[in-house]
Amino acid sequence: MKIKKITKVTFGALVAGTVIFGIGHFQTQAQQEQPAQQAAATATVTECFESREGYTARSRVENVVPEYGYPNIKCSQTTGGVLWWGDPYDDTIPMGDMPDIDDITKGDYLTEDAVIKPREPQLNYFNMDPDKHCVMCHDGKAVPFPKDKKPRMITMHQDIVEDSMELMHGEGAIWCLDCHNATNRNTLIDHRGKEISFNQPQKLCGKCHGVEYRHWRMGIHGKRIGSWIAGGKKRWWVCTECHNPHTVQTNRFQPLKPEPAPALPKGMKNADHESVHAPSAAGHGEATPAAMH
Amino acid sequence: MPAEEKKEVKGTTISRRQFFKQAGAVSAAVAAAAASSVIAPEEAEARTTFAEFFQNNYRLMTDEEKKEAIARLEQRHSEEYGKKVTVDGSPAMKDVLFGYALNIQKCIGCRRCVYACVKENNQSRHDTEIQWIRVIRMEKGNFTVDDMDKGYPNSPNESFGIQVGGNAYKNAGVALEGQHYYQPERVPEKDAFYFPVQCMQCEKPPCVKVCPVRTTYRDPDGIVVIDYNWCIGCRMCMGACPYWARRFNWGDPNLPAEEMNPKTHYLGNRPRMRGVVEKCTFCLQRTRKGRYPACVEVCPVGARKFGNLLDPESEVRKILDRKKVFRLKADMNTYPKFFYFID
Amino acid sequence: MKNKVSFIVDFFSYGLKGGSSYYAWLGILSLFILPWAYGSYQQMVAKGMIVAGFTDQISWAVYEGNFVFLVGVAAAAVTVVFPYYVYNYKTLKNVVLIGEMLAITAVLLVMLFIIYHMGRPDRLWHLAPIIGIFSWPNSILTWDVIVLNGYLVLNLICAFYNMYKRYTGQPLNEKFYMTFVYISIVWALTIHTVTAFLMNTMATRPMWFHSLMPLKFLATAFAAGPALIIVALLTIRKNTKLEIPDEAINLLSQIVVWFLGIALFLLLSEVVTELYPSTEHSFQLKYALFGMFGLSKMVPWSWTSYLVMIGSFVLLLIPRVRKNYTFLPIICISLFIGIWIDKGYALVISGMIPSPLGEFSEYTPTWIEIFIIAGNWAIGLMIFTILAKGAVGVMLGDVIHPSAAGKEVAHH
Repeated sequence: MKIKKITKVTFGALVAGTVIFGIGHFQTQAQQEQPAQQAAATATVTECFESREGYTARSRVENVVPEYGYPNIKCSQTTGGVLWWGDPYDDTIPMGDMPDIDDITKGDYLTEDAVIKPREPQLNYFNMDPDKHCVMCHDGKAVPFPKDKKPRMITMHQDIVEDSMELMHGEGAIWCLDCHNATNRNTLIDHRGKEISFNQPQKLCGKCHGVEYRHWRMGIHGKRIGSWIAGGKKRWWVCTECHNPHTVQTNRFQPLKPEPAPALPKGMKNADHESVHAPSAAGHGEATPAAMH
Repeated sequence: MPAEEKKEVKGTTISRRQFFKQAGAVSAAVAAAAASSVIAPEEAEARTTFAEFFQNNYRLMTDEEKKEAIARLEQRHSEEYGKKVTVDGSPAMKDVLFGYALNIQKCIGCRRCVYACVKENNQSRHDTEIQWIRVIRMEKGNFTVDDMDKGYPNSPNESFGIQVGGNAYKNAGVALEGQHYYQPERVPEKDAFYFPVQCMQCEKPPCVKVCPVRTTYRDPDGIVVIDYNWCIGCRMCMGACPYWARRFNWGDPNLPAEEMNPKTHYLGNRPRMRGVVEKCTFCLQRTRKGRYPACVEVCPVGARKFGNLLDPESEVRKILDRKKVFRLKADMNTYPKFFYFID
Repeated sequence: MKNKVSFIVDFFSYGLKGGSSYYAWLGILSLFILPWAYGSYQQMVAKGMIVAGFTDQISWAVYEGNFVFLVGVAAAAVTVVFPYYVYNYKTLKNVVLIGEMLAITAVLLVMLFIIYHMGRPDRLWHLAPIIGIFSWPNSILTWDVIVLNGYLVLNLICAFYNMYKRYTGQPLNEKFYMTFVYISIVWALTIHTVTAFLMNTMATRPMWFHSLMPLKFLATAFAAGPALIIVALLTIRKNTKLEIPDEAINLLSQIVVWFLGIALFLLLSEVVTELYPSTEHSFQLKYALFGMFGLSKMVPWSWTSYLVMIGSFVLLLIPRVRKNYTFLPIICISLFIGIWIDKGYALVISGMIPSPLGEFSEYTPTWIEIFIIAGNWAIGLMIFTILAKGAVGVMLGDVIHPSAAGKEVAHH
C-alpha cells in the first residue's frame, strides 16, 4: 500500500519535472531569438564623421589594412560617428614645419612623423570650383575686396555665421577678416598679415590661444592617433577639426548624439531609480526612499 | 627613455609593419590551405580542447609550450571565425610602464570609447553584453533661492531640532550617485559632467591579491593581465575590484564572425570562453606594438592620453608635470596608473 | 582491512534501511533531484551560469550565500563537541556523533555549492598544489580551501574512528583520539572565521568591510547550527530507541539563545555604526533595510530575518517555551531559516548593491537556480539522514561486528 503511494508520488514528480523542463527550455529559446531579429533590421552606416559632426566626414573603405582585412574606419550604426580606426594614417599628408617650442620636449614633434588630414579639400564644401575654391567668387570683382576689417552685416554664409554682427568668437574683439584673408579667401591670415594655409589653422589660433597651443604641441591638448611612442608617427587633429571657430563661444565642442546606454542588468526593467535623485527628473525633498538619507 | 632605446622600439614597429605587408599575401594562402586540408573540424576541435585542458598557466609555460598554445588558438579561431586570426604572444616592452590620463573637463560622455573598445577587444555583443568602460553621468548641482527651505532634512518632522536649509541636499559629482544609463539627445549637457571608468592597472591590484590560482597577474609593463585558460571563474577578483572593472562571461560569448577583430593577443583580446573573467588591458595587442589603445584613438575630444610613465617626454608624464591630477578612490591605496586630470 | 570494509558496508546498509516514514522522507527529498538534474545540466553543460540570476553588478549571490551559511552550520558542531570533551558534560554522550555527522554533511554541501558558484568547475584542478597553482598565503580563498578540507578530514577521523572502535568493540586510543578532538575544536572556529575574512577583506564592499564580521558569523552560526541539531535530536528521539536526555536538548537551546543574543547585539552595533553617520558606505545596509531609490526587493527578506531572530530570542529566553518540545522545533526551524535568509541571501547580495561604482540593481534568482539550490539542500539532507541513521545504529549497538557483539567497552 505504502509502496504504491510512494511510486505514485514519484511518478507525479517526474511529470511535473518534465513540464518544468519543457517550459524552461521554451523560454530560453525565445529569449535567444530576439537579438538576431534586431540586428537584421538595421542597415549598415558607411559614411561617418570624426569629431565635428557635418564637418569632418569620412567614408568607409574596405580592406585598407589587407593583412587583417581592416577597413580604414568603422562607423557607429546609431550616431554616425567614427568608432574605430583601422589605418590611422589613411588619407594624411605631412603636417609641415612648426616652430620649436621652448622646452625640453621640442613639442614631441618630428616633421616626418607628424601627419594631418588636409583641410583644404574641405573648401569644396560649397560645391565650388575644385581648384579655385573661395576665390571663385571672392576674386575682387564679382565680390569686391572689403576695405577694412570692421564688422558689418553680411547676407551670405548664414549657415556658417548666423549673425555677422554677433560673431560667437572672441567676445567682440575680433571679426571674420581677422582670420580670413580678405584678398585671398583660400587662405587664413594672421595679425601680422602672414598668409596661413587652412591645413595649418594652429599657426593662426595659437597667436591668441598660446597656452592651448603649447599644450597641443606637447600632445596634452587635442587628439592624436597612431603611435603612442614619443616622437612616433601620429596623425594630429588640428584646431578646427574639433572646434568650430565660428561658434566656439557658444559651445567649445558642438554637442553630439551619444552612443546607446549599456544594456540593463538582467532583472532590471528600467533605470528610473537613477533619476530619483537627479534634480531634473524628480523634485528633491519628495517622500521617496531616496529621502531616507 | 633614452633616445637610443626609443629608436629601437620604433624600429621594431616599422619592421613588423613591413613584415605584415609581406605576410598578408602569404597568410591568405595559408588560410586557404588550412581550410582545404582540414578534414574533420570537430575532431580537431576536440583535440584542441583536450590539449587546452592540460595546458599550464601562461606565465609558467616554456617558450615552446607558449608557441604550441598560440598555434592551437590561431587554428581554432581561424576555423571558427572563417578568417585568418593571429594570436600574438609578445611580452612587455623593455623599459616601458604604461600610464593613462583622462581629462574629465573635456569628456563629453558620448560613449564612443565604450564601443571602440568593444570593437577592438572582441567582447560578447549581447546576452550578456560586455563593456569594459563605463561612463557615469554626474550632476553639476546648483543652489537656488527657491530651495532655501528645502534640502535635508526633508520635513520639519524629521528635523530632530536641526535647522538645515539652503538646498543642503543635492548630489553634485558624487561618484556613488551618478547615472549609468543616461541617454539624452545630445551630449555634453549643460548641467552634467561625465566620468569614464575602466581598469586602472593598479600597482597594488586587489584583484591580483585575491586570485587563488594566480591567473591574473601584473606584467612588467604594468598591465594586469588574465590567462583566460587558467581562470576558474570564482569571481573573487570581481568582488575585490574597487573600480568595478572586471566582467564575467556568464554564458558563451556572442561574437559575430564579421565583427571579430582577427588581430589578437593571448593575454588581451583573443576570443574568450564561457565562465571566465575579462577586463581592460589598455589594448595590449596594440600598445605592445606601439599603437594607441582604441579608446584613446576614438575619443572625439582628445580627453584620453596614453604613454610610457618612464619616459619624461611621453604625454602622460607631461600631464603629470603640468596638470592637476587625481586618482579615483585613492583611499583604497591601490595606486592606479590611470589618472584623471583637469586643465 | 576486512573489518573496515564490513564496517562501512554495515554502517551504510543500516543507514539505508528504515520504516515506511523513513523511506517517505527520503522519497520526498529525492523528488528534488529531477529539477536539480535539469538545472545542473543547463548550468554546467548547456548554457553556463547565464541560466542563473547573476549579473556583473551582482556577481556573487545565492550559491556563495549558501556556502557561507553552511560553513557556519559545519562549524557549529563545536557547540556539542566542546562542552562534552572540555567540560565533560556527559549528557551530550549521544549527541556528539550527530553533531559530527552534521559537520561532515555541511562541509560536503559547502563544496557542492562552491562547484556551482564557479564559472569553470572543470578547471578545479588548477587550485591543486603542485599540479596547479595554489596561491597560498596571498589569496584568502586558498586559506578557506585548507581549513574546509582540513575540517572535513578531522571530522571524518574523529567520528568514524570513534564509531569503528565501537563497531569492533575495541577501546579508543585516547592520545590519538583526543589530539584530533582538540584540534577539531579550534579548527571549527577557523573555518567560519576564514570564510568571514573572505568577504570582509574586500575593502570596496563597505557592508562587509568591518571587523565584527567574523564574530557575527560565529555567533549566528552557533545559533543556527545547534537549532538544526535540536530538530535532528528530537526527530531521532521520537523515531529511534536512542536515549537523548532532556538536559542535552536544554543545553543546546541555551546555547542557541545566548549566541543569538550576541548575534543580535552585534547586529545592533552594526546598524548604529552604519546608520548614525550615514555616509555613502552605509548605502548597502540601507538598501537591505529600507531599500533605496525605489528599489526594495531585499527589504521583506531582511525584516523577516531580523524579526524571526528577535522573536526567537525573546521566546527562547522563556524557560517554559524553551522546554516545550512541541514549540521548540518550530522555533528552531524558523530561526534556522531566518539566519539562512540573513547570511545566505541578504548579506551576500546586499553587499553587492550598489556596485563599487554606485550602480543600483536588484537580484532575482531564476527557477533553475532555485532548482539547484533546493536540490543541493535535498542532497545534503539525504546525506545527513543516512549518516545520522548509521551513527544512531552504532550508538544503539545495532551496527556491530559479530565478534564484538555483547562486549561492554567504555567509550566516550
